[in-house]
Amino acid sequence: MKRKQFIKNAALTAAGGIVMPYILPSGRLFAATGSRRANHVVFCLFAGGVRNLESIHKAEGNMMRNTLNGTEAISADIAPGIVQLPTIASTPLQNNGTLFKEFRYASGPTGHYNGHTTAITGKYSDEAIQLKQPPKYPTIFEYYRKHTSPSTSALNAWWVSNALGPYPYLNFSMFDGYGPAYGANMIQPDSIFNPSSASVLGSPLTLSQTEKSKCDMMRDFMNGQFKIPQAAVSSGIVNSAVDAEHLQTWLNSMIYQVTNGNIQDPWGTGIMTGDMKNIYFGIEVMKEFKPELMVINMTDIDIAHFDFTKYVSAIGMADYALYKLWQAIQSTPGMANDTVLVVVPEHGRNQAANSVVDAYGRYALDHNNDQMSREIFCLMAGKGVKQGQVISQTQGESVDVVPTIANILGFDNEIPFGILDGRVLTEAFT
Amino acid sequence: MKIKHTAILALAFLLLQTSCNKEKRYIYQVQEQELYQSSAQKQNLKTTDQFISIAYSHLFGISITNNELTQYNVSLQALGDKATMQDMIVKSMINRSSAQLVTNTAMRADIPIFVEQTYLRFYNRKPNEFERWKMKDLIEKNTDVTPRMICYSMMTSDEYRYY
Repeated sequence: MKRKQFIKNAALTAAGGIVMPYILPSGRLFAATGSRRANHVVFCLFAGGVRNLESIHKAEGNMMRNTLNGTEAISADIAPGIVQLPTIASTPLQNNGTLFKEFRYASGPTGHYNGHTTAITGKYSDEAIQLKQPPKYPTIFEYYRKHTSPSTSALNAWWVSNALGPYPYLNFSMFDGYGPAYGANMIQPDSIFNPSSASVLGSPLTLSQTEKSKCDMMRDFMNGQFKIPQAAVSSGIVNSAVDAEHLQTWLNSMIYQVTNGNIQDPWGTGIMTGDMKNIYFGIEVMKEFKPELMVINMTDIDIAHFDFTKYVSAIGMADYALYKLWQAIQSTPGMANDTVLVVVPEHGRNQAANSVVDAYGRYALDHNNDQMSREIFCLMAGKGVKQGQVISQTQGESVDVVPTIANILGFDNEIPFGILDGRVLTEAFT
Repeated sequence: MKIKHTAILALAFLLLQTSCNKEKRYIYQVQEQELYQSSAQKQNLKTTDQFISIAYSHLFGISITNNELTQYNVSLQALGDKATMQDMIVKSMINRSSAQLVTNTAMRADIPIFVEQTYLRFYNRKPNEFERWKMKDLIEKNTDVTPRMICYSMMTSDEYRYY
């Protein structure tokens, strides 16, 4: 009798163990399919540390004329130091979506990498963050690739970074059950698409299809003779052979264009800042691969540590690049009218200035965890987003971006319960 | 017993400045190194510096300059798919006219010697009997296979990424 009872209990426990993982936070047994709000998300980190004061509150004039309504003039004392690019938006971007004017980076150090990590993982970080290894918690790329279809192609997820250092680590995490198998393709375009790089990577060996097949055959034989040591498996994103070929062909074509001087001033502005270059190449990624999820950043604004006027100027140039990104989304077949653009700074800057004075007598700004350095904005624009909505009260946080993107792409219910801290910004949706 | 062989390995030690931090950088120069007796002895993944420096030394017989190493290294850091960038680096190096490659005529004049020397050069070990036979057979049956294609295949194989 006892034995029978034991077997029954064991069977029930086993069955429960199988069923339980599929009960979702929503209470449904299986995730809803086909509930996407849009098929593409482009998340632009308007980063480098920008205060709401100079951005959406226009304290020095409307520096974001392609994004924000209004024609407030630039402060006269710094105007000579501002690079003024033309306004290219027929209607500012905010009219295509919802603007959260008082978004918050509510917790954790106001460091650039902390802010990026929070935005990409949906988890606030602390001082113990590691700069030379992937983040602790899964990135939005891994959630996307693991929990939605098509999960097989890494070319559907891109992290386009405008800096090296720790930033390349943000394409996947060390979290158990996630990791590089679900990571995004990462590129820091300016380190590859420049004349120096082109000089060493240009003129590569080209193989005919027959030659390539024979090389593949020889390599397959060689690989068959070598057992990869499990203790030292190469960690990193891996594309399928077909995708890797596609990626390499595209990289070579871009390098070729750089070598031939075709990408010196592609927007005809007479100036291409680091931010503008990163957005330009991000657009090229978008046009080539039409990723379902792309995260891209700008950081030139960080000049604020040393030069206030150049910081204000950088906001304007980032705004120009941002609208170029929006235009490209709207003119890319497959992404036009089927994309949500999310724009968020990683953090703000201090209320109090530091002691560095610029050529116009303005003091520079650091970011050291004061209240103002936590005040940011969030703009969501595109398919399924309420048009022209402005939310002026304090609402929404950095950690809400990841669940919101997951919701747009229809897999938020499949993310294991308890990992994410934020919520879906449903108030932005129609 | 391990045999001495001229190849490459770790030597000089450099301190370079990147951004605000000083990082250790190593340059791998041509020097004597012991041969592996089998591929199973390779248990460690080459670092990016090692991969680039060793590939350069293998192809050109000299140590890579610091400028070139930095440029290649930055390119590797700048792409998430390391295997793809390593493939591009090998393709760019191997296509240079200064790459020291055996001619097709010399290879076909004595295929067994070519196979042995190529394994010694790139894998730092002798081929086993099966590899000797298979590679010889492969080269004989595929008259359009060139030494450049064989070197490229070896340098982009799994074994080449380990030491």
